[in-house]
Amino acid sequence: MSASLPSALQTLANYRIHNTRASHEVVEKGKVLLNSNGTSRLGDDAWAFLEQLALAAIDVANYEIADECLRRLATKFPESPRVDVLSGIRMEATQPPEVALKFYNELLQTDSSNAAIYKRRISVLLRMGKIERAVTELSEYLDTFYSDVEGWVELAELYSSCNQYTSATQALSHALLLAPQNPFYVLQFAETAYTADDVPLAMKMFMLALDIMDRNVSEESIPTGVSVRAWYGVKLCCRALTERTCSSASDTPLPQNLDLLDELSTERVLTAYSVVGKDFDSSRELVLSWMGPSDRTGGRPRFIH
Amino acid sequence: MMVNYTVGQQAYLKTFFHAAKHPHLQVNGVLLGKKVSGTVEIIDAVPLLHHWTSLSPMMEIGLDLAGRHAESLELQLVGYYQACERLDDTALAPVGEKIASKVKEGFSDAVAFVIDGEKIGSPDNAALIPYLAQSPSSSWRPYTDAGAVTPFSPGSSFSLSSPDSPAHAVSLVRDQQLHRKFGDFDDHLEDVTIDWLGNKAAMPSDVHQ
Repeated sequence: MSASLPSALQTLANYRIHNTRASHEVVEKGKVLLNSNGTSRLGDDAWAFLEQLALAAIDVANYEIADECLRRLATKFPESPRVDVLSGIRMEATQPPEVALKFYNELLQTDSSNAAIYKRRISVLLRMGKIERAVTELSEYLDTFYSDVEGWVELAELYSSCNQYTSATQALSHALLLAPQNPFYVLQFAETAYTADDVPLAMKMFMLALDIMDRNVSEESIPTGVSVRAWYGVKLCCRALTERTCSSASDTPLPQNLDLLDELSTERVLTAYSVVGKDFDSSRELVLSWMGPSDRTGGRPRFIH
Repeated sequence: MMVNYTVGQQAYLKTFFHAAKHPHLQVNGVLLGKKVSGTVEIIDAVPLLHHWTSLSPMMEIGLDLAGRHAESLELQLVGYYQACERLDDTALAPVGEKIASKVKEGFSDAVAFVIDGEKIGSPDNAALIPYLAQSPSSSWRPYTDAGAVTPFSPGSSFSLSSPDSPAHAVSLVRDQQLHRKFGDFDDHLEDVTIDWLGNKAAMPSDVHQ
């Protein structure tokens, strides 16, 4: 047990830093600590750990563990807004949504600055299927708590789920103002713009995402992760721009050198597949056939290095 | 005359694993199969997204690649499946209607399944709600057999080729965690070595179609 304790603590700490939702694992590792009174070894981290374990336990419906964590937290931090949020989440798990909403409303009357409680209320509304009301409340929340980037991203996703893609890009543009160097938000903007049928804007944003991601990377490297997705996006836009007339609601101009971009994106995606071994030849073949000819004459694609 | 649909074990397991791997997210994918003497045999499933499921670019690419993969297996795209974010939501999402209609353009008997979040996981319930449309441009509606027979129960036009598929799926997830080895197109875009088209590593050795 003592050999694996440091590594368990490390894993749990990592999950906290990255906000990972690996609830089964957290409960497996965490309950050992809880029962053996290992929390005393954590010092100040003990409270963050208990919060993490409570959330994970609720996620997998292990209410015994959740309640034990909550009890310890409430004892240590009476009348804490953060513990209030946790109590609310616990309530949401087993009580009807109206009960949780009432609890949150009462808390907000006492303290209207607890941003987390507004967001819990919006979560409950979403769970009840009241999308429109959730969108209204989230918009109002963001009027006050403007710098909540995740709030803007969530609003964009809600709009997208209701086919309101232009409103989604507007919400994302606020997120980008607040976090201009985050390639994920730029990528989400690009994909939303494409879905809204503004292909020139999508193209511009795919290229911007690549620019942000590739800043520290040499040109000859193999694209991985989010870059692959972005290059696929560029290729898709090139295809759309050459196959049909695309208008741009945002008046974004068409990119120059479209055929060069087409060749480049083809080459970048195919290079990403160069890491796959012989087992994946069919997967690479499939992508190759999807790529099609990448120059005007319909000849074989040329890969420029 | 009403066409019959059978869902093969491999298709069922993959749909189940996709939903099981992301229990708090919307997931979707397409179904592969062929029509044989008036019956649509759904043989395989190709998982698409679990992230930004309302956005279309990666969906379009994934759909295109899945279609080519189907051809290579001498099958066609015959349907679409999705699992909703909320347990009690059984509606076909707008994006689902779009994809299903696209599939229907190429296969007139296309079907869309929404996973029943409240029933999935019980060993004797297929937990798949079928949606059909009259034409690619008309709306999709939940299908009910004549005489109000529940889909996938005896006498329904929908059946599982192996009645124990749900029980098998539950035990594979619970006892072997096979769903953790399952990858979709979203996963593949982050790591191109992930076999989203075949998912052989996640299939038990005794799976039959």
